[in-house]
Order: sequence, then C-alpha cells, then structure tokens
Amino acid sequence: MVGGWWSPAVGLSGIGLVAALEVERTDAGREIFFNVQQPWAVYVFMATLVGLLVYGFGRHAGLWLLGKPTPGLRLHPRHRVRNAMRLGLGQEKLRRDPYAGVMHWCIFSSIVVLTFVTAQVALDADLSIHFLQGNYYLFFSFYGDLFGVIGLIGVGMALNRRYFDSYRRLRWDERLEDHLVLWGLALILLSGFAVEALRIGATELAEHESWARWSFASYGIAKLVEVFEFRDGQLLGAHTWAWWTHVVIAFGWLGLVVFTKLDHLFFAPANAYLLRTDAPGRLTTIENIEEREIFGVGQVQDFTWKQLFELDACVRCGRCTSVCPANLAGQPLSPMHLIQDLKAHLANVGPELQRVGHAGGDQRAVATVAMVGEVIKDETLWACRTCGACVQECPVMIEHVPTIVDMRRYLVMDEARVPATAQAALENMEVRGHPWRGTALTRDSWMEGLEDVPMFDGSQEYLYWVGCSGALVERNLPITRSVFKLLREAGASFGVLGQEETCNGDPARRLGNEYLYQILAQQLVETFKAKNVQRVITNCPHCFNTFKNEYPQFDGRFEVFHHTEFLARALGEGRLRPQHRVDSSVTYHDSCYLGRLNDVYDAPRQILEFLPGAAVQEMARSRSRGLCCGAGGGNMWQEEVGERRVNHVRAEEAVGTGAESVVSNCPFCIQMFEDGIPAIQPEEEGRMRAFDIAELLDQAVFGRNGSGAGGGESVR
Amino acid sequence: MHLVVCAKQIPDPETPPAAFRIDSAKNEVIPAQGIAPVLSPYDAQAAEAALRIKEQSGDGKVTVISLGKESAQAAIKQVLAMGADEGVLLSADEFQGGDSYTTAHALAAAVKKLGDVDAVFCGRQAADWDMGQVGVGIAEELGWPSAIIAKDVKADGGSFVVQRVLADGFETVKMAGPAVITVSNELGDPRYPKLQQIMQAARKTVTTWTPGDLGLQPGEIGAAGARLKLEKLFQPPAGGDVQIMEGDTPADQAKALARALRDAKII
Ligand code: SF4
Ligand code: SF4
Repeated sequence: MVGGWWSPAVGLSGIGLVAALEVERTDAGREIFFNVQQPWAVYVFMATLVGLLVYGFGRHAGLWLLGKPTPGLRLHPRHRVRNAMRLGLGQEKLRRDPYAGVMHWCIFSSIVVLTFVTAQVALDADLSIHFLQGNYYLFFSFYGDLFGVIGLIGVGMALNRRYFDSYRRLRWDERLEDHLVLWGLALILLSGFAVEALRIGATELAEHESWARWSFASYGIAKLVEVFEFRDGQLLGAHTWAWWTHVVIAFGWLGLVVFTKLDHLFFAPANAYLLRTDAPGRLTTIENIEEREIFGVGQVQDFTWKQLFELDACVRCGRCTSVCPANLAGQPLSPMHLIQDLKAHLANVGPELQRVGHAGGDQRAVATVAMVGEVIKDETLWACRTCGACVQECPVMIEHVPTIVDMRRYLVMDEARVPATAQAALENMEVRGHPWRGTALTRDSWMEGLEDVPMFDGSQEYLYWVGCSGALVERNLPITRSVFKLLREAGASFGVLGQEETCNGDPARRLGNEYLYQILAQQLVETFKAKNVQRVITNCPHCFNTFKNEYPQFDGRFEVFHHTEFLARALGEGRLRPQHRVDSSVTYHDSCYLGRLNDVYDAPRQILEFLPGAAVQEMARSRSRGLCCGAGGGNMWQEEVGERRVNHVRAEEAVGTGAESVVSNCPFCIQMFEDGIPAIQPEEEGRMRAFDIAELLDQAVFGRNGSGAGGGESVR
Repeated sequence: MHLVVCAKQIPDPETPPAAFRIDSAKNEVIPAQGIAPVLSPYDAQAAEAALRIKEQSGDGKVTVISLGKESAQAAIKQVLAMGADEGVLLSADEFQGGDSYTTAHALAAAVKKLGDVDAVFCGRQAADWDMGQVGVGIAEELGWPSAIIAKDVKADGGSFVVQRVLADGFETVKMAGPAVITVSNELGDPRYPKLQQIMQAARKTVTTWTPGDLGLQPGEIGAAGARLKLEKLFQPPAGGDVQIMEGDTPADQAKALARALRDAKII
C-alpha cells in the first residue's frame, strides 16, 4: 500500500521534525532570492513551462479524442480512486522488480518533496507570508537535503542499471531521451546541492553554523569548500552561476515532461484511475453487433480514447515483453513494441484524422498504412496467448490484451484473415458446436464404464460441466472421469449435460470471432436458465472464466467453481480422504486462466498438501508470474511461428525442477505438456509425466487401480 | 460472367463412428442426433473456384443451386456468405429419392432456366455417397464440355484453363465455355466469410423452384426417374480376430506368420 512506500520517508522526516522542535525557539531564516538579480526571470520560465505543458497535453488530448467513448468509466469511482492511490502513487507494480522499486521510489519521492520544497520557497517569496522561519526553517532545511540525497541514491541506481548492469530490457528500445532525462535529473540534484552549499559557505557558516548543520549534506560540502578559503566575492559569484544553472536545468527538465516518457508522471496515476475495475479475464462485449459496420479495431480511431491514452503512458521499461511467453519463445510478438508502434502510428496519422474529422469528412478514407497488417502484423496478433502476464507486470497499468483482441476481431470479422488451423476450429464450433475438428469421440464417450452418471435435471445442486476438451480429446477423458468419481465420493449433488453440452464460445471469443461467441454464449445461457442451473463446477479454467466473468454480460449469473476449488474444500471438510500414497515429486503449473486471471493460486496447492507422499517443487516462474503453457488465446489451434514453441520453453522449466510429474488444472496445459516434454526429454525412460491435479487426487483417494469406494475406471 | 455453383448438403462426414447409425430395414442413414448436416466440403471448394474467377473477371455473378430439403438453405447461405450473389433451392417431394442421374437432370434444367450461364462448378464428388457423377451428368445433359478434378481454374476470354489432378501428375486443359468443371480439394481452403457478408447472406432470400418451374415431368426426377436401385445398406460389423505368432526369435515368428498366411491361401 501507499503507506508501505512512504513509511521510510515519513519516518526520517518525523525524526527531523522532532529534532527541530527540540531545539530552542530560534529566529533562523533566510532571504529567499538571496544574491540573485532578476529573479523575475524565473517567472518567465514558469509561464513558458505552463504554456508548454498546456500546448503539449492539448496536442496529446486531441489525439486521444480521436477514439471512441470508453464504456464503464463512471462505474466504481471509489475502486478507481483506490487504484490511483495504490497502483499510481503507491507504485505497487514497480515493486515486482525490487531493485527498480527502490530506485523509482527514491527518485519519485525526491522529486515530489523537492518540488514541494521549491514551491514553499516561491510562496514565501511571493506572498510575503514568511513561514520559512524558526524551527520550521531548520526542519525544512533538513528534509530538503534528505530528499536530495535520496534522489541521488535513486539516480545512482538508475545510472548503474542503464550503463553497468547486464540488464537487457531497458535496451530493447533505448532512445536519446532516456539518457537526457537521467542526466538531467542528476544535474538538477547536484546543482541544487551546489547552490545550497555555496549559500551556506557565503553566509550561514560564519554567522549561524548551528543552523547550517540542519542542511547536513550541503553543510558537509560547504565545509569541504571552506578548506580552499575562497573569498566571499568568489563564493557569491559561483553561487549566482550555480543558482541559474540549477533553475535553467530544472525548467528544461520539466519541459521534457511534454516530449518524453516523463509524461508518465501524470499519465501513470491517471491510467491507474482508468484501469478496468471488473475481472481481468473478461473481454468487452460488442454491443448491438448486428447493427455495426466495423466489428473490430482496424484503424486508430476505432480504439476507445482510453486505449489511445494509455499508449502515451508507456515508458518502454520492457517488463511486459520480458514476461511474454510468445516473446520468450522467439515468436513475433513484443507487447512493448506493439504499444510503441501503435503510439508512433497514432502520432503519424492522428493530425490528418483530426483535420478530416473537423471538416466532417470520412476518416476511414484517410489513406494511410494499414494499422492491422502493416504497422501491427497479423502474426504478431495471432501469437498472443491472452495470458495477461504483460498486463500484470506493466507499471503504468496498460492493458495490452483487450487492444490485441480488438485488432484480432478486425482480422477475423472484418477482414476474414484467419490462419487455416484457427479457421478450422472456428468453423467447427459454428457447424459442430465444438472446436475439435475430426474427433472420433462423442460427449458421452467418457461415461463408458462408469455407472449411473446422473443427468442434470435442475434438482441437483451442481452442474458438472465437462467441456469440449474434457469430453472430446482422448487424453482428457481420464481427467473427466477422475473429477466425476471424486465429486461422487465427496457426496456432491450434481449432474451432467452429456450430449446437450455445446461449446460455451470461449475459443471463438479469444480468436476474435465475437459474433460466433455471442451466438454460442446466448444459446448456452438460455439452456442453463431453462434447466435451472445455479451452480457450476468446471473441469477447465477457460470454461470457468467464461461462465464466471463473461456470462454475466449476457445476463447469465451462476456461481462457478473450478474443480480444484471444490475438491480443496471437500478435502478440508473431510469429505474426501486420501489414503493411498502417491509417492512422487511434483511441480505445479499455474494455468493463466485459473491463476493470474482469476486469482486461484491456493486451492490447487492445498490439494497437493493433502496428497500423501507427494513432494512439491515450485518452478521459478509460478503463481502470478507463472508462464503460459502456450495454448491460451486460441493458440491451441494454431501453428506456431518463431524460433521455439512456448510449450517447449515451459516444459523445459518444469523438467528443470527435477520433479517426476508436472501437475496442472487445465486440459489445454496438460495437452501442451504431453506434447512438449518429449521434445525436452527424448528418452522415454524417466520422462516427466503430466497430470491434472484431479488425477493425482484420484490415485490418493481410490488407489492406483481405482479400487476405492468410487469404483469405476482405473486411472492410467 | 455468370457462374453457377452446385452445392449439396450432406450428413456430417465427421460424425463420430459411435454416433453413425443405419436403418437397414429402410436402407437409410439415421440422422445422428444433435449433429447438423453440412455443406459437402468439395462443394465449398467449387464455390471458392467460382469466386476466384468472379474476382479475377471483376464483374462476374455467382449463383448457387442446391437440390435438397428445406434445410439445404443453410448450405446455400454458406456459399452466399462466401460471396455468391444469388441462391436457388430445388425442393419438392418429387425430387426425393433420386440418384445421380435425376439430380444431374434437375440441376441441368435449372441451369437452362437461368439462361446466360458461362460455367457450372461442382465438387469432384459429394462427401456422402462419393459417386462423382453429377458434374459430368450435367455436362452431358447440357451438351457442354467438362473437366473434372480441378486444382486450379482460370478464365481466359470465353474459355477456361483448368489444371487437373491425375493419378500421377497434373494436366492443363483449355476448353471453350460454357463448360462444367468439378473441383478437388487441391484447390486450397475455401475462404472464411467476413461477418458483414454473413449478415448480408442471412438477409438474402433464396428462390425455390419446383419441378413445375423447371418444366420437369414427375417421371423424370426423384425416385420415379432413378435408374439406380439401392439393394442393401449396412454397417460392416466392427472388430477383428487376432492371432499372435508364437516363436522364440523374430525369425521363428516370421516363419510362423508366413506359414499361417500360406495356409489361409493369402500368399
Ligand atoms: S497476453 Fe501474454 S502472450 Fe499476449 S502479449 Fe501479453 S504476455 Fe504476451
Ligand atoms: S507497456 Fe507497460 S510494461 Fe510494457 S514497456 Fe510500456 S510501460 Fe513497460
């Protein structure tokens, strides 16, 4: 929280304050524009700066306003203010990289406090309310110096990272401004100390050394300078020079706010306020889709203004790209470059669009390069897993995923440019109600050998939703059976839909076919309502996310549980008793749609703790930093383009733990591991195995041969 | 240029084996529950070939014709969404129960009624019965030249240059229009329709023609006109008989296998 960040600063200042109050009342103070002629020039600078800010931000705003209205911004103002405080001022995300967190806090707090210091000087001088006197003056001198030093520490850390560290992400898109901003800041702070030290040397040192000590750093420098025994005149001359240098650089630097990434000073907290307040796993609905002419985002003006606004907030820190699974696998997607390319494109075509817009012309006809296809390549958009890792890391709260999906929507619905395999999946959903082209299984196949599978008829408490992958992909049938047996063993009142299940539309939505998604979703919401479904247990985190977060958009409100949530609770309540040892070292893979996008990290780990004999070995990337298996965002149905495949990267990480099995909670993850592990471990002997957590629990409860009370099929 | 695409709606060829049933008493396929019929995949490729020519020529028109039940509207709409301009459904009880001959006869009558047609595109065969007769049948009825199993078709003035797939290579033929061309899967994936087109297609009305509209007599079409009689329709019983060849070494096992095969008069 904000407090966490400020406590060191507040603490240190507090000590200073107490100390200042402890000393006798004093008549300490100083003349403000001491030794400086024409101080009015400062006000000319000030006016220029304000003018520049107004002009610069005005231009930005003009570009943002090319966008469409942003729905939902009026909702949840309190939540938004909290976001602005926590994520904006409190910089919560920055701390995910602790070095950068400390560094940025030092710089940020120093700028804020020193601006406050300078403002007080200005007030004192101009309004002739002389409050920089007495004890407060001493305290003021103290914290001014303190935050100067803090600022220098931060700048030092930043210089180190930019020039000496082997840190790569900062160099992915390094520009002149990055150096200017940093050195500018260093010079402001150093010249600030020079001014203060020279002033002290010329005045206080001789007359009131006890006051001077409060400006502890400057005092130290002054003492050093004293050694050289300059004449007063020389000190005064140097002071004047240092003062003007300080002022000119400071204003110059502030001017950079308009032209460089420094604008994040304003844009980051603002973007935190604008950040969505609903579930991160939810995509926006295209309202009245039948009446629209353009369905996705093909040109900049099709974005919402918030989407355009956040392009300006990006500071090119590279965090998003450094965690992007596609990028890690050498595939043609870097979320940072995507945002920067869009930003450059907006600057490029924006003015002409504005002109045409004002003249009442047709903005679509403004001939420019194609944003989707040329500026942002098709393969870039297709490579995204919608895993949300970029959004999770972005310190200025940019939401890449909706922006990427909006452009996919354009590709699919407006341009019909779809990779062949994805097209096959989409057509299959349309024609056959599931994405698994060519499956030889039916939605009943998993029930073979199980007795009395109850059909859901509205009288049971839960609907057990098997899902297309749970029913129609060979590898997943044992998972479906395990969950079924465990639900029964736990005494749950539940039923299944069998042949009446149809795809809930999630792959269509992720692949950009919102129209197909809406048709499938509306149908299923109707079915659920007709059957009086209230609570749903799903096998698959994608179904889970869709029912939980997206169906309310279609007035389908159900209580939704992933099987891990239900099973963890049943274990906790003693309704499932694992008696058989599973003796195995396992590593747990967080699926993106259960973990990062829905915050379910603990339930699966609780289940693992209940497994007798299972030793859990976490991967370096886990929980909110978990790496996608590669299948998300419809990539299950696409050929991957690039150096490596994402599932190979992740399988390598899993194998690297030395565990015997990798455990997950998602049929797609399991398939990706089954496919990826042999590429990393070509030898079949001792090869890592991939399981759904329910399969392991099944072994623990019923034994390896499924001999427990639930009976039925054995687990393979 | 006016191009016609013949499209057939068939039971889903991807119906899982477990869901595929036959009523042997009636000699009929029982429609699988919950599995909707689809446009025969080769016909989608035929549509793709026609649409490419329409685009190439700049001012073409594509009409899609289907002979079938009312449900075949869906197949027609699908081709309309891909970019065809008009749809015609030949539907009436009298059309039911026909064979390749009566189908070709009825479709040819429809092409004649349309009048100004430059080429007819069919799939190389329908993916249900896999007969591959209707395309050439239409050509015969109309007295037009035909080229079958095409992987590429280009219009060249009033002629068509067709690349055909042979058993051991390709062959390029040029024939004067009007002509009939049957298209194979080697042509490439049919296009994915834009949403705008899907919606326009949904709003289009499909014309229905009955035998009367085509000037066909009841005896010429449907079961009455069919020249092919279906004797028996059945599902071969699934399963097998496995015999494991004993032997200490692979060589012994191979010998045992050879002996068994000779005993069975296979080698
Ligand atoms: S959502 Fe995941 S795959 Fe897509 S850009 Fe972000 S990090 Fe990369
Ligand atoms: S989008 Fe966010 S995380 Fe990515 S480079 Fe820009 S500021 Fe950094």
